[in-house]
Amino acid sequence: MRGIAIQHFQEIEHAADWAFRAHGCDLAQLFANAARGMFELQVGAGSAETNVARGVAVSGVDRETLLVNWLNELLYLQETQHEAYSRFEILEISDTHLQARVHGRPYRPEGKLIKAVTFHDLMVRQSEDGWEATIVVDV
Amino acid sequence: MTTATRAMPTRSDLVQVSQHLWEIPCSFRDDMRAPARLYADEVLLDDALGDRSMEQLVNTATLPGVTKYAIAMPDIHQGYGFPIGGVVATRLPGGIISPGGVGYDINCGVRLLASEASVQEVSPFLAELASLLYRNCPSGVGVRGEIKLQDAELDKVLVEGARWTEEHGYARIEDLRHTEEFGTMRGADPDYVSHKARERGRGQIGTLGAGNHFIEVDCIAEIFDETAAKCLGLFSDQAVVQIHCGSRGFGHQVCEDYVARFQTTVHDYGIELPDRELVCAPFESEEGQQYFHAMACAANFAFANRQVLAHRIRQSFEQALAGKVPGFDLHQVYDIAHNMAKIEEHEVSGTHMRLCVHRKGATRAFGPGSPGLPEDLRDIGQPVLIPGSMGTESYVLIGTHGSMQQTFGSTCHGAGRVWSRTRARKTVRGQQLRQELESRGIAVRTRSMPGLAEEAPQAYKDVSRVVDVVARAGIGKRVARLEPIAVIKG
Repeated sequence: MRGIAIQHFQEIEHAADWAFRAHGCDLAQLFANAARGMFELQVGAGSAETNVARGVAVSGVDRETLLVNWLNELLYLQETQHEAYSRFEILEISDTHLQARVHGRPYRPEGKLIKAVTFHDLMVRQSEDGWEATIVVDV
Repeated sequence: MTTATRAMPTRSDLVQVSQHLWEIPCSFRDDMRAPARLYADEVLLDDALGDRSMEQLVNTATLPGVTKYAIAMPDIHQGYGFPIGGVVATRLPGGIISPGGVGYDINCGVRLLASEASVQEVSPFLAELASLLYRNCPSGVGVRGEIKLQDAELDKVLVEGARWTEEHGYARIEDLRHTEEFGTMRGADPDYVSHKARERGRGQIGTLGAGNHFIEVDCIAEIFDETAAKCLGLFSDQAVVQIHCGSRGFGHQVCEDYVARFQTTVHDYGIELPDRELVCAPFESEEGQQYFHAMACAANFAFANRQVLAHRIRQSFEQALAGKVPGFDLHQVYDIAHNMAKIEEHEVSGTHMRLCVHRKGATRAFGPGSPGLPEDLRDIGQPVLIPGSMGTESYVLIGTHGSMQQTFGSTCHGAGRVWSRTRARKTVRGQQLRQELESRGIAVRTRSMPGLAEEAPQAYKDVSRVVDVVARAGIGKRVARLEPIAVIKG
């Protein structure tokens, strides 16, 4: 996994659901940090200990769709495998395709979890400081 | 298609149509195909203008085929794409269907069961009853129930909905009669449901889920309409139960699948949208039909889910109260959906029109004599179940002739949020809230204290004010007010 930005994500106020902004020095780090942010919002900062790993491959028609599909794939794995992930190795990434290996641990949900990642207000952009994405999720 | 920020409507953009009805005319934005209308009093109007819900309502007024108005109920609040509390009807043929106009929790809804016992009779056994309800009705997001279905059996649930539960001993025939669509949404075709949706839903029938989903034991605190209450089997001081939940991971995946797919479909049909979450397809198109078939499967999943939960609740009542409280058995008052797209006929400017009515955080509220109602309810109109926020009152309403004329047979669905979840979490401590509720005699069972805090009553609008507006506007009539005595939170 590439280096981690100091502030990998911030929560943004949203009236009904959850929203957050993720940062990264490149697209790979942005996608990894968005995933990290999504899991930290749900289950808190993950323990460094991981004992399961899964391969993930997703595609999308553009960067935004790819990001939504990536995060939704992780929610699908979380719900069906009863796992929470805390480390995300992006092995290959383009604007339309991503291959990754995600590391986590068995997890039984105790509190509120995300139902789905939405396209509402979705933004992926390159700024002077690197890359950032804004994501709104349904809880 | 862009997600650029657009002008937010302000007070000066609104025209007052009547005491509780406001309109944003088409002149507000070039891309509006119909005016946007909001039911509200002064306080709820300020709430609606306090977040982005009115901008989101205006966005829905741009959808191809939108008929009469894009409508917002007084419990409107900001969502993602469509606002929560919105009703958008598109004319057929030609109009669109939008997965985002239904939402991720397809056929999220409310069911009301009523005992023949008074709260005074039930109260001595309330703690045990609440614990049994908590144990027998699994909660949490990924949680699985006792029913595990292989593909062929799951397909039957997806096509038959609550009817499947009746064949398997989870429902009484009268439960189906008192369920919207009689518990079976027509048009379901499992061929259009993904493997992923099946995997998520396979073990989730009979589970409550998380978020704002709950089971609540209530007391009928006030009767407003004796005739309608009698017809529904409701009386003062009666112990009743509300269930609020939907189609669980199955519905989330169906919505997700089609919102992702429609990102390109929308371009194929040349539809310009102000928000990518509004993606849609013409209802009659291949893609539109495929979504409708899949959505109907999720609707049936939710009807079956609430029915199995109702069965578990009946079992819990029996375990806690049999031999102690004679009237413990629960009859079903009604079951309503508040996230759904339905094909309905309505009169528009003197003509009968076939419409695709999207209700997202809004309830069908058919008036007296409407088709689709069981014979015993036809004279009074459709029961409408309006849950309040946790620890506050809820309402039973009935649909009216006014709702048929003004809102495509629709009314509000609840209290509506005013605080973000983040603000609620930062302001309210779950443990303290639990103590406050328990000091008021409300038994609380929950898995998550932060989750409890997010659903704090302070985070919501005043449901009585919301109901007052729909009653005054004539799009719903009050029958009864419910006060909670036990809350089981997902």
